[in-house]
Amino acid sequence: MCNGCCGCCSAFRPRYKRLVDNIFPVYPQDGLVKSNMEKLTFYSLSSPEKLDRIGEYLYQRAARDIYRKKYGFVIIAMEAMDQLLLACHAPTLNLFVESFLKMVQKLLESTEPELQILATTSFVKFANIEEDTPSYHRRYDFFVSKFSAMCHSGERDEIRDKIRTAGIKGLQAVVRKTVSDDLVENIWESVHMDKIVPSLLFNMQESGFHKKESNNIDVTSEDALDPPMLAETCLRELVGRASFGHIRAVLRPVFKHFDLHTLWVPNDFAIHTFRIIMFSIQAQYSYTVVETLMAHLDDNAKSSATIRTNIAGVLSKIIAIAAGESVGPSVLEIINSLLSHLRDSVRNEASQLEEKQYQEALINALGEFANHLPDYQKIEIMMFIMSKIPFPLVDNHSPADNLLQSILLKSLLKVGTKYQTIHLNTTFPVSFLEPLLRMSLAPDPDMRLLVQKILHTLIDRHNNLEKLSKPTVNIFDLELVLEKSSRPDLIFINKHGPIIYDALYTSLQMDTNTPENIEAVYTTLALLCVELASVETVIDLLQLILGIQSLSLNSTLLSNAQKFNLHAIVISLLALIPTIVSIKPLADYACQIIEQRKQEAPHLLPDLFSHYPTNSEVANKLPHLLIDQMAICEYVKAGGLDPSRLQQTSPYGAGGPGFVTGTQRNSWIESGARGSIIDIQTSEVDSACSSPGVQKKYTDEELTFESMKKVLTEPPEVRKEAEAERRKVLSHTFRTATFSELVRRTQPKHDVLQTKLNEIFNSLNSNENRSPIDEKKAAVPAYEQNFPELFYY
Amino acid sequence: MDDYKFLFKVVLVGNAGVGKTCLVRRFTQGLFPPGQGATIGVDFMIKTVEVGNEKVKLQIWDTAGQERFRSITQSYYRSAHALILVYDISCQPTFDCLTDWLREIEEYASCKVLRVLVGNKIDREDREIPTHVGEEFAERHNMYYLETSAKQSDNVERLFMQIAEDLMKQARSRDLPRYNSNHQNINGTTTPISDSSCCSGKFINAIVIFGKPTACIHCS
Ligand SMILES: Nc1nc2c(ncn2[C@@H]2O[C@H](COP(=O)(O)OP(=O)(O)OP(=O)(O)O)[C@@H](O)[C@H]2O)c(=O)[nH]1
Ligand SMILES: [Mg+2]
Repeated sequence: MCNGCCGCCSAFRPRYKRLVDNIFPVYPQDGLVKSNMEKLTFYSLSSPEKLDRIGEYLYQRAARDIYRKKYGFVIIAMEAMDQLLLACHAPTLNLFVESFLKMVQKLLESTEPELQILATTSFVKFANIEEDTPSYHRRYDFFVSKFSAMCHSGERDEIRDKIRTAGIKGLQAVVRKTVSDDLVENIWESVHMDKIVPSLLFNMQESGFHKKESNNIDVTSEDALDPPMLAETCLRELVGRASFGHIRAVLRPVFKHFDLHTLWVPNDFAIHTFRIIMFSIQAQYSYTVVETLMAHLDDNAKSSATIRTNIAGVLSKIIAIAAGESVGPSVLEIINSLLSHLRDSVRNEASQLEEKQYQEALINALGEFANHLPDYQKIEIMMFIMSKIPFPLVDNHSPADNLLQSILLKSLLKVGTKYQTIHLNTTFPVSFLEPLLRMSLAPDPDMRLLVQKILHTLIDRHNNLEKLSKPTVNIFDLELVLEKSSRPDLIFINKHGPIIYDALYTSLQMDTNTPENIEAVYTTLALLCVELASVETVIDLLQLILGIQSLSLNSTLLSNAQKFNLHAIVISLLALIPTIVSIKPLADYACQIIEQRKQEAPHLLPDLFSHYPTNSEVANKLPHLLIDQMAICEYVKAGGLDPSRLQQTSPYGAGGPGFVTGTQRNSWIESGARGSIIDIQTSEVDSACSSPGVQKKYTDEELTFESMKKVLTEPPEVRKEAEAERRKVLSHTFRTATFSELVRRTQPKHDVLQTKLNEIFNSLNSNENRSPIDEKKAAVPAYEQNFPELFYY
Repeated sequence: MDDYKFLFKVVLVGNAGVGKTCLVRRFTQGLFPPGQGATIGVDFMIKTVEVGNEKVKLQIWDTAGQERFRSITQSYYRSAHALILVYDISCQPTFDCLTDWLREIEEYASCKVLRVLVGNKIDREDREIPTHVGEEFAERHNMYYLETSAKQSDNVERLFMQIAEDLMKQARSRDLPRYNSNHQNINGTTTPISDSSCCSGKFINAIVIFGKPTACIHCS
């Protein structure tokens, strides 16, 4: 091998060697001899077969100069090679490239930062040219290794940054060079990714204090992207080029890096990085990132809650980006995974503050995700979450179960908040509404409150929620937003109103209710009233508030404070209703009562408290301050509405436990099946159902009032006893039965009162359609309101 | 110059502060760096040595001992021909960690990698691990054992020369992890033993080209 040590006999040297020698000046600082370089280039172009020898010779010279530390000449040799590389684009280039890369490697191997940087620049130039015939045997392992090492340079300040920048640019070049053709070198192999990715992240994470530093150093660098910025660009490019099979190869080292460098807490950098990944990844794969993050949560099951909270925090920040792309099953997969993380967390017996924060973070992620899904998927998700809530809802649960229930309800609330109801019937399919109402009767008051909040957010379409969050009698101050309710809405409330009202009424009977619970029920009712303003719903609502009033008068279980609360929401609703559908006389009546109560019994007005002054008179002793059913009928009539249904007494019993009423109507159906009680009438009901619109037979009304009176005049002890019994049965039922069972359940037959009430209500209800006015507005037959179940099955 | 016949990759691992960087710099630059800072990520040095009239180029990758760089450093084990596992004879914890290091090596390095255990800083008075303890440990785990002082240049040269000789012997008997590729074999004068281990799931180039990956020849 000629090592170029025979300068003495240059005359006999091959021409290419002489041409190469001539490009070097006597003094390196004079730089490349340009005219001779042109000659060399021309020669290379005309004799391309010599190119590989020229390359080899240049390399040999440079290697020798490096050894002798004559770096000036090394730089010139490299420059010459660069020029030749760019000038010659022939198939012959291939062998030249080998020398070129050997040269680059040689420079990279030196300890001189300048040479390393120079080599990188040359490598970048090389990477940018397209080779006709890629060389399959060429490997880039060294370059990846070395550039990655350079990315971690620990040299002194400015040099450090220069070398790091070079390292990043080098990595970027390797990726560009290899990414398009797997045969050249599969850059996605973990050997490479495990070097490239941490090197980029390491530079990105330094940005914080790096920026502070660079303020002190004068900003001179010309083409200066600082290492963090450059690394970021490079990462974007890398992620953007990754196809599905490669995503994990990129992500795995990311997670490892974050773990090892403890970059999850705080999670600013993690959020930053994962946003970059999400925004640069090919959209259809974005959900893989979410999936991997969640898998990482799994891996961290044993880590501190703080770490998990922060990972979940990252999740919530990026999950929305994935939501847009997630379709079909992957959506539920993500939700399911989030829910199971929640469940796992709840099972973590020690539920300290950190664990709670973790759960909050997960719920946030869930909400963020749902927020960006189309509405139909939100309903799907809500139903899905619903299906995950453990049943039955009983009070002797393990704390974990209770916690899980309330956490899932919170998730539901979160998703619900992001959902914008258009039609109530799409928001509340029966399979969603039913379990929701069932949960509104849970033994735990907090849980009941959550359910009401879910109802609020789903029912409220006109942003009235805030205004109606507290009972008030000053309706005009509220500036409610009203819109005429649509026909589908009316059909909805006609169909489902009874079970909704029933559930609300029943929940008001709970002696564990706090003022908050009672307020929440008020809000639900007020929202229903506002959203469904119509003459039909008004009667139902009035019936219900009369029922609530009599509940507060007759209940033996509720405390006085709870009873006052009930009166307060009753009067608030009474004030609200006539302003919504504008029944002036009724509004005046409400005003009048309010004024009187202000004078005599402010404790029967909002606000609601849990304690009242001991001298607060019970409402039973203040009959003139109560809402009178007959008066209401009158004013309703005066307002141009038909009060007949109101006159027929409410389905909400005479203060009996609400479930009596709920089941009693249902038991009626069953009694028909059993052929007991009043055969004729039930058969009528049946036939009426099969042919809607058919009017029912006239039954004597007097009987009704008489029976009613009888019930009311019965000794209170009997009632009290029955009530307690009912209560027992009720809570037992809750513990064991499913909702549909509950709905269908018949009350025990030994209950005399019950049978009597059944009788009465049967006859009452069958009277309903008697009036001619009723017939007119009977677009939806009244019995359909009362027997929604018949239409479900 | 560059007409080396063999190219070997040597990777140094071990706890932070045991003196890896000092060993490398002693060997490649002949000095003991005062106030050597902790290595960040990976450092790289090169030295060409002569073994029985043959030029052998050693690519030395000096890894950071700090835990946080473990992800990047591990990725360098894979292509190593020799691994030097260093501990500090005056610091028991660095010795206690050896089993952890071995586990990592087991996991990430080639199964045929030459492994050498080095107890460094023998110039220090406050030795905590007697020679025979290190020796026994090495023996138990099929490693060479050597005690060095980067400071006083004891055994440093010998360490790397021994490795070069051994790898060359292995290479001659073709027992070294390698590709069948003739990578960079431009002028036929060098026979670089190229990158990557038999365990990293890489395949012989020719096979990859024809799109038919087969199992790793060294592991199967
Ligand atoms: N007395 C003595 N001190 C040594 C010797 N080798 C290294 N040191 C000292 O040990 C300290 C750490 O040496 P390094 O070479 O930086 O250790 P390292 O293993 O590279 O550490 P990391 O890069 O953090 O993994 C330095 O202060 C050295 O001066 C030795 O042989 N004898
Ligand atoms: Mg070091």
